[in-house]
Amino acid sequence: MSAAIADLLTAALAREIATSGVRVFAVTTPATVAAALAARELGVPELALTAGFSALDGAPVPSITRGEGGLLTRGPAFRDDPGDVFVALARGRVGVVATPAQLDVVGHTNLSGIGEPGHPKVALPGARGLPDHCSASRVWYLFATHGPRQLVERVDVVCGAVPPPGALRRLFTPAGCFELGGAGWRALWLTAGGAELVALTPAFGIVLDGDEPVLEAPDEEALAALERVDPHGVRRIEFASGADAAHLWSAAAEREAA
Amino acid sequence: MPASLAADDLPERVADGALIAIGGAGLQRKPMSALRALVAAGRRELRVISFLGSLDVELLLAAGAVAELHSAGVSLDAAGLAPHYRDARETGSVSFFEWSEGTLLCALEAAARGVPSLPTWQALATDMPAINPWLREGRDPFTGEPVMNVRALCPDVALLHVPAVDDAGYAYLDGDLAYDGAMARAAGEVIVSYDERRASEPRLAVLSRLWIDATIHAPQGAWPTGCHPLTGVDSASVASWAAAGLDATPALLEPHA
Repeated sequence: MSAAIADLLTAALAREIATSGVRVFAVTTPATVAAALAARELGVPELALTAGFSALDGAPVPSITRGEGGLLTRGPAFRDDPGDVFVALARGRVGVVATPAQLDVVGHTNLSGIGEPGHPKVALPGARGLPDHCSASRVWYLFATHGPRQLVERVDVVCGAVPPPGALRRLFTPAGCFELGGAGWRALWLTAGGAELVALTPAFGIVLDGDEPVLEAPDEEALAALERVDPHGVRRIEFASGADAAHLWSAAAEREAA
Repeated sequence: MPASLAADDLPERVADGALIAIGGAGLQRKPMSALRALVAAGRRELRVISFLGSLDVELLLAAGAVAELHSAGVSLDAAGLAPHYRDARETGSVSFFEWSEGTLLCALEAAARGVPSLPTWQALATDMPAINPWLREGRDPFTGEPVMNVRALCPDVALLHVPAVDDAGYAYLDGDLAYDGAMARAAGEVIVSYDERRASEPRLAVLSRLWIDATIHAPQGAWPTGCHPLTGVDSASVASWAAAGLDATPALLEPHA
């Protein structure tokens, strides 16, 4: 994926977080951390970010080598009990940005494996927190690759249940932004070339009517905020693959080790 | 006050077949020197709890030391998937119990409270109980609402690593405590390795000496995982392990390698 699409999606997520009305967000990956930090600059400076498991209100930096524990590297944070993040989730106080490996037409998510539950042909990292937040989230954003292996009719393993209908349930992919409703996923906007990507995932059931708005360029204000909080573009690693990803990774690792 | 152990003393306290809880999360604060000592002593059939695993799980799997693994996820973060973990799951060479982050915490809390199980709302309406027999869906006896009953997970030993302890045995860290506190309260014995001694300020400690049975001085004991703020992740070593795939052996995680 191009850096331009990576920036467009991350900037869009930043704007979404800023306007969601939720004041605590759980973010873990470089792009979602960057988006949440940028959201603070888009009118919600008080936005709290859950960092690791013992700080609901952390001070993270976009980083590729420091892991979730490193999300606290910018400074000390109030130390919560690790269970508090689940309490806050259960009480609808936390918005979530998740990155499942598989997502299906009704909103189930999978990060466990491909194949029969418990007997994966391809083992993925593991369910992580998907079973813990999906059914409780008031605001639920997903980041996913737009391809037939990721967006499927039925996930192989149901790790995450579907957030309730009253929740905001949106998916960001290189094809655009989609919302889950009673009739499945529908496009809110597409990227340039997004319609072609949607056509590659017929099992996922998105039907385009041809007049969806096309977002050609990132929200300029959000992009400027992203550049301030993530000047080295660590967010783009999440969207890269192959040699591009390797190059970005080694550059980030070298910079962060210095 | 916790006992002070030499690194060589550790294997005596972890029997073959023991259920060990490994602290830290992802590529942070894994007690790697302690795990290397277990591998060097030839420990086998270990039953391992690693809330979020990385090179800790990889090392033990590569050494053939694991019979059973409990985790909510294992990966090498941006360096990619964990090769030995993937292979173990795909071939079924170890018994794998897949947890969610929340249900694993619940299982440790049940152990700490001394109850056989605890109910939670987590993992409801998912496939998790179908792949983890420690989770069982039921009904709340008061309201009839669906609940997930989570069986207690009682580690024999918790192995944790922190940047510093003081002379009294309190443990300190600046980064994410992860599930170390829950593991310490649930385990039969708690052994904490540490990089440095520091002045005693118990009000700033993250883990009371009450929960710690023994400490081991292990400078850079988390290497190649990070130990914020003292050391970051050794990304080159993580990448080397990932690149080696199933050819990665414990020797690759020796500090001199």
